[in-house]
Amino acid sequence: MTTLALVRPRTDWLGIVFAALLTIAIVGPLLVVGTWAFTEVWRYPNVIPQQFGFRFWGQTLGRPDVWNALMLSLQLTTVVTLLSAAICLPAAYAFARMSFPGRNILFFSFLAGHAFPKFGLLVAIAAIFLQLDLIGTFWGVVLIQLVGTLMFMIWIPVAAFQAVDRRMEEAARDVGASPLRVFWSITLPQAGPTIAAAVLLSFVGTFYETEGAWLIGAPGIRTMPVLMISYINNQMVIQFGAVLSVVLWVPSFIALMFARRVIGGGAFARGFGG
Amino acid sequence: MSEVTEGAVRPLIDGAARRRPIGLLLVAIPVLLMIWLVIWPAMNAIGRTIWRTDANGQLSFDLSSYVFFFSDRYSLDNLAVTLWTTFVCAILLLVICLPIALYLRFSHGRLSAYVQALAIFPMFVPSIILAFAFIRVLGPNGMVDILLNAVDLPKIRTPYLTPWGPVIGLVWDNIPLTVLILLAGLGSVANQSIEAARDVGANALQVFWHIILPRISNSVLVALSFSVLGIFSSFTLPYLLGPASPEMLGPFMQRTLREVQNPVGAMTQAVVAFGFCIVFGLFYVRSVARNQGK
Amino acid sequence: MSVLHIVEVTKTFPGGTNAVDSFSLDVADGELVCLLGPSGSGKSTLLRMVGGFEQPTGGRITIDGEDVTHLPPERRPTGMVFQSHALWTHMNVFKNLAFGLKLRHMPANLIKEKVEAVLELVGLAGYGDRMTTQLSGGQQQRVALARSLVLEPKILLLDEPFASLDQHLRERLREEVRDIQQRLKITTLFVTHGQDEALSMADRIVVMANGKTEQIDRPDVVYRNPQTPFVAGFIGTMNLIEGEVQGGHFVRADFTVPLPIADGPATLAIRPESLDLAASDKPGASVHRVTDYGTHGLVDLDLADGTRLKSMVAHPDLFRAGQGIELLPRAVAAYRNNQQIYRSSP
Repeated sequence: MTTLALVRPRTDWLGIVFAALLTIAIVGPLLVVGTWAFTEVWRYPNVIPQQFGFRFWGQTLGRPDVWNALMLSLQLTTVVTLLSAAICLPAAYAFARMSFPGRNILFFSFLAGHAFPKFGLLVAIAAIFLQLDLIGTFWGVVLIQLVGTLMFMIWIPVAAFQAVDRRMEEAARDVGASPLRVFWSITLPQAGPTIAAAVLLSFVGTFYETEGAWLIGAPGIRTMPVLMISYINNQMVIQFGAVLSVVLWVPSFIALMFARRVIGGGAFARGFGG
Repeated sequence: MSEVTEGAVRPLIDGAARRRPIGLLLVAIPVLLMIWLVIWPAMNAIGRTIWRTDANGQLSFDLSSYVFFFSDRYSLDNLAVTLWTTFVCAILLLVICLPIALYLRFSHGRLSAYVQALAIFPMFVPSIILAFAFIRVLGPNGMVDILLNAVDLPKIRTPYLTPWGPVIGLVWDNIPLTVLILLAGLGSVANQSIEAARDVGANALQVFWHIILPRISNSVLVALSFSVLGIFSSFTLPYLLGPASPEMLGPFMQRTLREVQNPVGAMTQAVVAFGFCIVFGLFYVRSVARNQGK
Repeated sequence: MSVLHIVEVTKTFPGGTNAVDSFSLDVADGELVCLLGPSGSGKSTLLRMVGGFEQPTGGRITIDGEDVTHLPPERRPTGMVFQSHALWTHMNVFKNLAFGLKLRHMPANLIKEKVEAVLELVGLAGYGDRMTTQLSGGQQQRVALARSLVLEPKILLLDEPFASLDQHLRERLREEVRDIQQRLKITTLFVTHGQDEALSMADRIVVMANGKTEQIDRPDVVYRNPQTPFVAGFIGTMNLIEGEVQGGHFVRADFTVPLPIADGPATLAIRPESLDLAASDKPGASVHRVTDYGTHGLVDLDLADGTRLKSMVAHPDLFRAGQGIELLPRAVAAYRNNQQIYRSSP
């Protein structure tokens, strides 16, 4: 492989091979799902569906369990994201700009959540929630999803705050702004785009969070991904799952558009230790 | 012309001492939350599985749940399939992602941008949608069967509900971060050091082996650690795509906790998972911390 | 009418280093004083203490008699121009200038008027709508200057404002800044490590080293009559020769000069332009290299023990490498214990 990568051939055959394989492996399956969503009749072994149409959209979106799950997911995700922003952003500012005893240790302690195999940790948390009667409750799920956002919502904003030029803040103090005003008028707008991306990514991440919701929430709390699991396991009508997949993918698409700046430049990978 | 380098570039207004309590206060809630819901559960799981209440209601040192786990045929089968899946996924990820990362590092242009976009794309596909797509493509009478049938070939033996199901799904899911981490590592290999090696007569394979690999070995290990930590206790994909028996530790723990209602058994399985992953976890934490410290 | 008094200000950093050590300075109304010194000499720290960005560990700073030592920056009548210009990149030029005025609750039409006037002053009339990132380095630094001036500070503080600009632009901007400063008669403290900048702009220069004052004087005096060997070596080119005084003569290797001071060690200072040369067979010095700059020439000389000296000559073609030379200093100064103890009349 390296031979080709280093000696640039006139035609980028290697690139074409990669592009073709990845297109088949990554875009292909999603295209199949997309096709199913707009199919009314597709019987084996036809290569192309017999009949396209929107009939199952109406049926899927008309189901009360879908609406309930969607509303619940949006509520949960909103609550988790707002709570996370409210507790993490001030903490991120403190980590970035203030000095206090134990600062470094506390900062790196947020890595602990990533040092354990995730589902094992969820089971350990669930064992505690069992004693606290938080299993199957809204707030139980909120808590477990909140923990999942912590590292992301602290580390990225810390980097954003640290990237703000201190001289800019000093210049604002110099022209008469109080520390609070400096934060509001200078620091926050400067760090804003990156922080917004972090908040958005944690919103989307929480929306799709499946394992904590399934382990802690079942049976009372059925979020969209949890509903999707039961559709995959028990639902005979394929199109329901397909339509739901397409609907579910919309937030992800928005994230994809907004996250480009955060993921670009390798800063993101470095956050994962690359 | 002696230098007093300290103090030459000093950050903002001092008075950090005055702000100490505020700083601690601001980080208190997330830190406490993290201690309550990460550190404490982990310690609690270990504690409650080795200090058990016996018949008399007395707390005593008792490893019976571990003894059971490691003597139970079913538990051991589950552990074995978990280890097998993790190992196969790690190998496949390396074999797939290293060439992609190398290609992306050394070529530029529209085609490589497209390859990069595709390689990162799975990050934006929730695993639940992936599971659904998997079944529709590789499942019985799925798209692959349809296409094979169209050219008069026999159906495949579907990987759905076999150990290969989770492997395919997990590899698909972990491609983006592996590629990104490897690519970040490759970024630290200077073009000049490669050119210098070629200049003294190294061929491409020698350049890879002697120049590139030593520089990115840390990134390779980080990428491996990260995927091992994720795959070892993965739940959604094995639960939806894997066989019911033997099952991976993720679904096994979930069933033990919620269906069998045996928290001690589930925690034992979790602690076993911690034990198998501790090396990777510590290595991962160390690498990230060192990276941030730079 | 604004005067700045800095009285015995000391700044000790954690770890015990004195970045600024009992420093005192009075700046008169409308005066431009340069703080000149190598990096690490404490000049920037001192400026930041005047601006309120660092707290002195000792001493007092007053502006027009009012003690500002412990006021935060936003409550001081000072305006600072930073080395990296520190413009707020999320605001356009107008908003950068208006921010401070808005904080003072000035009516919008008055703000507009003032901002336009100051933009005119720095030669950027009509640039209000530009984003700061669209400006060149010189324009950005002008905006930074305008941002300070628009608030009509009593004291203007400039922290190496031209350091990131190229040579040509730097020379033009320092003339502009000097013109503006003189027109507004604004009391100014200017930090630089470039002696050209200090010599061409300042009313007075404070040469600093290791947190202490070496000399405070007019630029021409600092150049002609450096009070310490550090100043002598730091400003312009200077031959500094360590040697011994014996019986009214300074001696180093085969080189002797009459020096009417008491016996003992001394450092002799001679400017290259004050060191005349004459071809000679007597032992003394030899020519190492001759460089012709067109307008003048520079001759590198070696004493018998290898000590390297420089001499500026009008006709470099009269000398060639290896030639024996007699040194004829026209003006010398001598230092002992870091103090000037002798200076020949010019």
